[in-house]
Amino acid sequence: MIEFDKFTLDNGLKVIVHKDTTTPLAAVNILYNIGAKDEDPEQTGFAHLFEHLMFGGSVNIPNYDEPLQQVGGDNNAWTNSDVTNYYLTVPKENLETGFWLESDRMLSLAFTEKSLEVQKAVVIEEFKQHYFNHPYGDVWLHLRPLAYKKHPYQWSTIGKSLEHIENAKLQDVKDFFFHHYAPNNAVLVVAGNVETSEVKRLAEKWFGPIEKREIALRNLPIEPKQTEFRSLHLDRDVPYDAIYMAFHMGKRNDEDYFKVDLLSDILSNGQSSRIFQTLVKDKNLFSTIDAYLTGDFEPGLFVVSGKLTEGVSMETAEKSIWEVLNEVCATKASDYELQKVKNKLESSLVFSEISFLNKAMNIAQHEIINQAEDINLEVERYNKVTTEDIQEMAQKILIKENCSTLYYHAKKQ
Amino acid sequence: MENLNRNLPPQFKTIEHVDIPKSKKEILSNEIPVHIISGGSQDVVKIELIFNAGLWYQKYPLIAGICNSMLNEGTENYTASELAEKFDFYGAYISYSNSQHYASISLYTLNKYLAETLNLLEEIIKRPTFPQKELKTILSNKKQNYLVNREQASALAKEKFNSLIYGENHPYANIFEAKSFDEVKLDDVKSFYKECYTSDNCRIIVAGKINESVLNMIEDCFGAKSWNTKTSIKDVEHQFISSTDKKVFIHKKDAVQSSIRIGRPLFNKTHKDYAGIMLLNLVLGGYFGSRLMQNIREDKGYTYGINSLLLSHLKSGHFAIITEVGTDVCEAAISEIYKEIKRLREELIPEEELNLVKNFFAGEMLRSFDSPFALSESLKGNLPFGYDNSYYETFLQRIKATSSQTIMELANTYFKEEDLYEVVVGEKKA
Repeated sequence: MIEFDKFTLDNGLKVIVHKDTTTPLAAVNILYNIGAKDEDPEQTGFAHLFEHLMFGGSVNIPNYDEPLQQVGGDNNAWTNSDVTNYYLTVPKENLETGFWLESDRMLSLAFTEKSLEVQKAVVIEEFKQHYFNHPYGDVWLHLRPLAYKKHPYQWSTIGKSLEHIENAKLQDVKDFFFHHYAPNNAVLVVAGNVETSEVKRLAEKWFGPIEKREIALRNLPIEPKQTEFRSLHLDRDVPYDAIYMAFHMGKRNDEDYFKVDLLSDILSNGQSSRIFQTLVKDKNLFSTIDAYLTGDFEPGLFVVSGKLTEGVSMETAEKSIWEVLNEVCATKASDYELQKVKNKLESSLVFSEISFLNKAMNIAQHEIINQAEDINLEVERYNKVTTEDIQEMAQKILIKENCSTLYYHAKKQ
Repeated sequence: MENLNRNLPPQFKTIEHVDIPKSKKEILSNEIPVHIISGGSQDVVKIELIFNAGLWYQKYPLIAGICNSMLNEGTENYTASELAEKFDFYGAYISYSNSQHYASISLYTLNKYLAETLNLLEEIIKRPTFPQKELKTILSNKKQNYLVNREQASALAKEKFNSLIYGENHPYANIFEAKSFDEVKLDDVKSFYKECYTSDNCRIIVAGKINESVLNMIEDCFGAKSWNTKTSIKDVEHQFISSTDKKVFIHKKDAVQSSIRIGRPLFNKTHKDYAGIMLLNLVLGGYFGSRLMQNIREDKGYTYGINSLLLSHLKSGHFAIITEVGTDVCEAAISEIYKEIKRLREELIPEEELNLVKNFFAGEMLRSFDSPFALSESLKGNLPFGYDNSYYETFLQRIKATSSQTIMELANTYFKEEDLYEVVVGEKKA
């Protein structure tokens, strides 16, 4: 049970406080309800590029990092298709420094040409490092547009291409900021060795004066139901063939999500899981293989991906995956097997609550998706799932006409 | 509403002292030392058994690592899949780690399942059978992972750099080839196990919610009597042979970035200059605000990231700067790196910058001792040197007492350009 207090400032900023006195630190985590899915299809990668610019100085504070490091703090941020998350940790005595820094960059940025030019270059190097100079690194640049034809999940957070990053202009940056970054489009979570009364005082003091902004309406295209099997073949300079299968599923906050999550656990969470035991240990068809959910807020993907053992043909490998998937559709899992994955899940939730920063991020995400209180309902929502539910989900999702398969062929030397 | 001045930072407190929770030490009946770190908010526990069973002691490549990761591939009483099934059912995790001198096995479990999972841990440590069939699968999968990993320029750069500074046959370089996977013999794995995984070659760290009954269970499983053959590990020696070749370029076709490593062999954390070098390293490339990061990423945009590190081995150590930069700016980036090192030799670090780094470091210490598990990691790193975590309390005082003058002298002693090794892996030579 994670306890917290929650209040909303007049400008719409939601503030949540979680007290954990086992740490001498405090975390300030701000989640903005803006992600790559909100981008213009002709200007992709922008939400992430923007995240970099948030460190380029704000209206009253020319350098974000220095004053934070000065008080023993550290920070980072991440962007995905749904949201952008900024976090910092400081010794608890220096909590106010975090409020000062975060509120100023919510108020406004410095918007300098220099920062934009440098961060464009940095992001282009990030693009190269992770997507091009990395074996199998470009998979998602191709798998996403194969699976999504209309919905903006068809592009990766880094963007569709280097050109989109190169073309970003300072005016675009300003527009983006004032349409998406606002107290009424964010959740602030303060966790660690803190008192709610003090957090309230600091929130009023630093964030209170920031005015509400008009947030761009989110009106995302709906992905039409997939009705036939899709495939794509790529030839690349990699040592081994690999296969990626993506199936459409529901969104993060549906009750079905919890069923599908356990289904994926039965298939591939842990060494005793079906896929690992059958395809890696018994048949030696894959060197690594995994089934997992993208966990997106909007309808996301159920993914099976694996690297083939040398000498195994793509046909054999693909057939073997379908055999495991067909089995879970045809026959109900045993009560024991379901109990096992539920135990594993409960355990992983307990371990994830060791870190106060982790808790801060999870609370913030729940608040954006629906409400922070949901964080304490997760175990119950998983526990409700039955073996019939698992089979029903498998039959609905793990079928050929709902599948997009990417065949990643190792080029013959 | 208070009158806000957003230009001025709020008052702050400097961390003068870090309270590091003390570990306790107990000795089991068979003389295995158990280090206990109690605390945390969750009902979980981590038990780690550490053996002198690193690759320092192996006679052939890969043996130490394979031995370590095969412990759960079948035991006298359970098959590999039965073991996996049981650990998964209790929601427990087993992790294996294998380094230059040590190999360890960690159990992470909810306290409520400790009795069951600890018995399994005992089984895999005392009674593994090393089945031939599982060995074959493991070797084939590890070989593939190795070959995939070597597609990355950074992996090649690391390997070359380590072999230059330590010598290509030294365990600290740990160089092997793809064919080494085909040459691993089961008998060598088994005899390595017999020599190294014994009660007189073991220490234990327990972290999390610990009470008397936890310790009793550990005594029952691992302490009551000595187990496995009683041998004394022969202290093996390996010669350090640094290369006379200091600059190496490796061509990698079609690479869109070049991977750079620049550094030198140095010493470990027992050395008197270690605190000073730690500060020097931080200023240069040890945190986001470092000079290399500010210059090469935040000013020039040559890279997504650049950092430098100090690595403390038991018998040596090294310093390295690591980055991946665009092919076309590789030469410029290297020249900026040397420029920054030169500045450290020639100019005093301004007081303000040095204080910032010291404050940041104190904050890092708070972060790295934040949970019993984090404390156990750092204790694991300290024990081989004869320290416990109280080492860091005095270390922070040493850091705070180090002056700019001292750091400049250290830069002149240890960061001479002619002493540095440089490896570049990429499409074209800088």
